Amino acid sequence: MSGAPEALDPPVPIWDPLVRLTHWGIALGVLSNAAVTTGGKFVHVSIGWAVLGLLALRLAWGLVGPAEARFGTFPPNPRAAIRHLGELLRGRVSRYPSHNPAGALMVYAFWATLMVVILTGIGITGTTPLGVARREAAIAQGDWSVIAAETPLFSTATSDALKAVHPLAGNLLLVLAALHVLGVFVESRAMRVNLVRPMIRGRRQGARDVPPGSGGPR
Amino acid sequence: MRLDHPNILAGVLAVQAVATVFFVADAARDTVREGLSAYIFFESLIALALLLGLAVGGAALRRALAEIRSSRRALRLASGAVAEVLDGEFRRWKLTAAEADVALFALKGLDLGEIAALRNTAAGTVRAQLSSVYAKAGVSGRAQFAALFVEDILAEMWVNGGAEGGAAPKLAAAPAID
Repeated sequence: MSGAPEALDPPVPIWDPLVRLTHWGIALGVLSNAAVTTGGKFVHVSIGWAVLGLLALRLAWGLVGPAEARFGTFPPNPRAAIRHLGELLRGRVSRYPSHNPAGALMVYAFWATLMVVILTGIGITGTTPLGVARREAAIAQGDWSVIAAETPLFSTATSDALKAVHPLAGNLLLVLAALHVLGVFVESRAMRVNLVRPMIRGRRQGARDVPPGSGGPR
Repeated sequence: MRLDHPNILAGVLAVQAVATVFFVADAARDTVREGLSAYIFFESLIALALLLGLAVGGAALRRALAEIRSSRRALRLASGAVAEVLDGEFRRWKLTAAEADVALFALKGLDLGEIAALRNTAAGTVRAQLSSVYAKAGVSGRAQFAALFVEDILAEMWVNGGAEGGAAPKLAAAPAID
């Protein structure tokens, strides 16, 4: 019999609670703003700003967080991404301490598109959620002068462009999210590991080596 | 769940981050619309407090995660060490490879039939091998055989256990929440 301890590298990354929370928070915010809320209204704008807060937190965590949350662990590398997709086609994928190279490209594309959605949204609104609330309250009382009193942030042409880009980028975001879900499904099949579980509970399958009372599910 | 549990730290950080974005944007909007006022002094102070809270909370979460990970690692190494201890004892008793396998299965709590099925041998063979193991280890039966290791592990714990004191990591105090 062999007395060697098993390999210490986890087969799939264990996501820390901040990564999980920002992941699901952003997912919830994007989906509800895409499907439920009305654009321009207080709730839509507030959710957008909350998503900005979560995104900023996640990006800061990408600089100072633990290894698998840091940008340096999953650098954008198109060549490695293509190699990884080739491996996927052959059904034998390598394992990575964080996002796989294809997943990493997806993450950066998603963050960039989300940033575009948020910035165009802020540009269209021209104010903060509180400003929207004040505007809506005044209009509800029949005082339309608040709108006339506002100096627009951008020229009409720029404003029209923002209004065109915002839903376009929003739809691209949904396409990327769908691709991401598909990617997780395909990778889980190829790796024979449930990749969803670590994003929900923060540990991998059969985590029998986890001491009780430390970082378990809530 | 303790206040310095990583899940709680992450939740507080998320609320703080969202609050900071809302607050700083609104303070900036007020400044743009109404110019500098006495408010801006207090608003800057609150913004600074929020940012400091984020930094301290982030550092606390970082440290909590690092400690949990190192304790998991220690536990894995410890379970590896138990395997090494078993290996060492089996060598000392000069068990054959087959006997070592059977002894390990016995320690894992498998019964004669199960061991025989795993090793593709007759139950009688396993019984003979186990008798040989017990004889070489100087014990009378399975209970005493298992007790040998429990005794060793407990002794180890009394000698070394005080310093580490269990698997649950000790975390630093939670950051003050502004």
